[in-house]
Amino acid sequence: MIATIPSATLLGVEGTPVAVEVHVSNGLPCFTVVGLPDASCRESRDRVRAALLSSGLPWSLKRVTVNLAPSSVRKGGAGLDLPIAVGLLVASDQLEAEAVAGCGFIGELGLDGSIRRVPGIVPLVAALSTRVVVVPPDCFTEASVVGRHKVRVAGTLTELLAALRGDAPWPDPPAAAPVPPEPASLPDLADVRGQAVGRTAVEVAAAGGHHLLLSGPPGAGKTMLARRLPGLLPPLEGDDALTATRIHSAAAVALPPGGLVVRPPFRAPHHGASAVALIGGGTGYMRPGEISLSHCGVLFMDEMCEFPAAVLDALRQPIEEGVVRVCRARATVSFPARFLLVGATNPCPCGEGGSGTGACRCPQAARQRYNRRLSGPLLDRFDLRVLVSRPDAASVMGGPPGEGSAPVAARVAAARELALERGVRCNAELPASGLDALAPLTSGASRVLEHRLRSGLLSARGVHRIRRVARTIADLGGLSGPVDEAHVCLALSLRAELAPAEAAA
Amino acid sequence: MTEVPPEGWAAALAGLPGMGPARLRAVLGVWAPEEAWAHIAAGSGCSRPVVALTCRPDPAGTAALWRVAARKVSVAGTWDAHQRAGVAVSLPGGPGFPAELHLDLEPPAIVFSRGDTAALDGRRVAIVGTRRCTRYGRDVAFELGRDLASSGIRVVSGLALGVDGAAHRGALASCGAPPVAVVGSGLDVVYPPAHRALWEQVAGAGLLLSEAPLGARPEPWRFPVRNRVIAALAEVVVVVESAEKGGSRHTVEAAMVRDRVVMAVPGSVRSPVSSYTNGLLADGCHPVRDALDVLVALGLSTVPQAPADLRPEPGPEEAPVLEALAWEPATFDDLCARSGHSPGQISVGLARLQAGGWVVERAGWWERAT
Repeated sequence: MIATIPSATLLGVEGTPVAVEVHVSNGLPCFTVVGLPDASCRESRDRVRAALLSSGLPWSLKRVTVNLAPSSVRKGGAGLDLPIAVGLLVASDQLEAEAVAGCGFIGELGLDGSIRRVPGIVPLVAALSTRVVVVPPDCFTEASVVGRHKVRVAGTLTELLAALRGDAPWPDPPAAAPVPPEPASLPDLADVRGQAVGRTAVEVAAAGGHHLLLSGPPGAGKTMLARRLPGLLPPLEGDDALTATRIHSAAAVALPPGGLVVRPPFRAPHHGASAVALIGGGTGYMRPGEISLSHCGVLFMDEMCEFPAAVLDALRQPIEEGVVRVCRARATVSFPARFLLVGATNPCPCGEGGSGTGACRCPQAARQRYNRRLSGPLLDRFDLRVLVSRPDAASVMGGPPGEGSAPVAARVAAARELALERGVRCNAELPASGLDALAPLTSGASRVLEHRLRSGLLSARGVHRIRRVARTIADLGGLSGPVDEAHVCLALSLRAELAPAEAAA
Repeated sequence: MTEVPPEGWAAALAGLPGMGPARLRAVLGVWAPEEAWAHIAAGSGCSRPVVALTCRPDPAGTAALWRVAARKVSVAGTWDAHQRAGVAVSLPGGPGFPAELHLDLEPPAIVFSRGDTAALDGRRVAIVGTRRCTRYGRDVAFELGRDLASSGIRVVSGLALGVDGAAHRGALASCGAPPVAVVGSGLDVVYPPAHRALWEQVAGAGLLLSEAPLGARPEPWRFPVRNRVIAALAEVVVVVESAEKGGSRHTVEAAMVRDRVVMAVPGSVRSPVSSYTNGLLADGCHPVRDALDVLVALGLSTVPQAPADLRPEPGPEEAPVLEALAWEPATFDDLCARSGHSPGQISVGLARLQAGGWVVERAGWWERAT
């Protein structure tokens, strides 16, 4: 007898459909799994046998061959346990083939016959084209996110068998956890006292998707500002939300109560992170990295100069392209990685620096070595580079609270609408060729840029970046006409040269 | 093999480890150079009490150290190297030895020089200060160097990073009186390496002096020793910027012991690198606002008038920004906080002031241009 059960396996953040074929015939009793299974997949043989026996089902003393088709794709993980067990039951005549028709199965088996969760339920379910999918009970919300299938749950093999045979109704899905009333209250911009420039920079970054580098002494409030950035971004919609959910699911990161990732993610990897942790990859099973987990959200790199230079430079290509292609001998996987990069750094190892006041205690060589960590090409990708100073005592202790996140978020949303009308997600993506049409300059504005160009303070590519930022600043002011002098000046002031070629003292 | 003159033996002696001016003076005070070398090579370098006194706490150890080091040195080779490099070696009383140093409290026992020793003939002013200066300090040092040199004053300094280098650059830019540099390392060991070009320019246009033979590393003890030579050579010592514990302190103390005039450039009371100079002013030193103040102290009083300011007057939008900037470096953020204006307003003001030449930006810090 032969049975074929639809299931799926994970390749990067995408699911690939897999047909689990089980063949039972006479011969010497044995159980083989073929079709490029990896170690955890091959072990399913032992889990399936124990689960069937614990559930009181007979283990036939026959020759069993399991084939995972297509056999050219490497299969990993334990999610194929359940389809193998079901296939075995059908092939050994313990279950009618009609009972499982149109059903896909995903789940890991425990030795006691329980059905357990596996990572990547969202992309796995999305890869299935059956009408019904059966998943472990705690994966119900994740599986429902896709929305094309009738999602069934079963906690144990016995429960599943009873439901499939029609002896018992399908078990109820677990009650959804109550959604917290406040959407997981995000830190509010009203907590930030003073910091007029930092606030402006964060608002412009949120509105235009411009990468932001904050530099300043310890305690100036760089991290505080960066943490308030996700609260200013509009919630994710449609495809973006689904892609973000798929990535989080594939990386086994806990999903929010509703199942769908709608808040823009905020990821803050520690500076000990390796290149693979950041970019994605791994040997057996390709896991998305931090840059993909922050897709459509914010990647915050605190103490950026402490990251190894090689790790930082690996970010350059994904920043440009919005995807990262990880190539290994076995497979090449593309992970989406369109993120807003926010870096925070001290101006020098002692933190007091900047060469402005002479308070810095670092030797010049140490300062230069520190600044060299951020290569020129990477630094160039930051449209906004801001020096943050410690706020003065008066504004910390007694000053009026700053503007809250809500009105700022409203301005950001309006500015993003204007960008959508221009055919891009945000102004950072405006093509250089379209700038003359989409961000025309008033005569005052072009005079300012011309002066900068002529005095060698700005490069031709720098002009494009300034014009995009100036467009965003004008949009935030609700002005969709030409960009004027004030917008360009502010854009220039928000793009300080942070690591200059140290002038010969 | 050529006959090695006494200068050659003395140069080899100066190259021994730990051989500072006091020890070398003591050694050459009791023996002729060649004789001294023979004693040291035999291990009896500290046999005379006068020498042993300078080598406390361990004269025997020092003598042994010298004996071992002397074995590895070819005196003739050392002398040839100096001849080839065009480095003049002078002993006290010999030709080329600066007269001021001969009469000094702690005269050098030997002087190595590159360039024209005639550069010392004239009025001399030392400009010294911290290596970690602000743009203000660098600009003031440059202008003082330029204006003094164009008035015929020899600018003496130490070729270090920061104030020293800026003073030399200014002196070179004026094409006036030749600059004089006193360095702490051998004349072939450029320190700091970033000043290689400046080093060559000073040697070409003026004079490089050192108490160390070729190949001597810039060991930390050599710098305070060097500073005393700077103080001895100058009539007036101007401190531009220095932190409370800076090396300029040695120069100032050496200058005061020698009855030289010490003057200081005032700085912001909040700037850590002006704390020492402001302290000097509080103690009664004369302030230096420009080269004219120094010329008055020297008893001269002619200085070319600065050209009229051609910059456009700051408009009503720019003036508050310039006012908020005051006279110390500030970030864009500081300016917004001080003036209470929005970043947008400040940025327009800064852009216009920058176009008009009123302010400059470096690494995110804004400062007034002068």
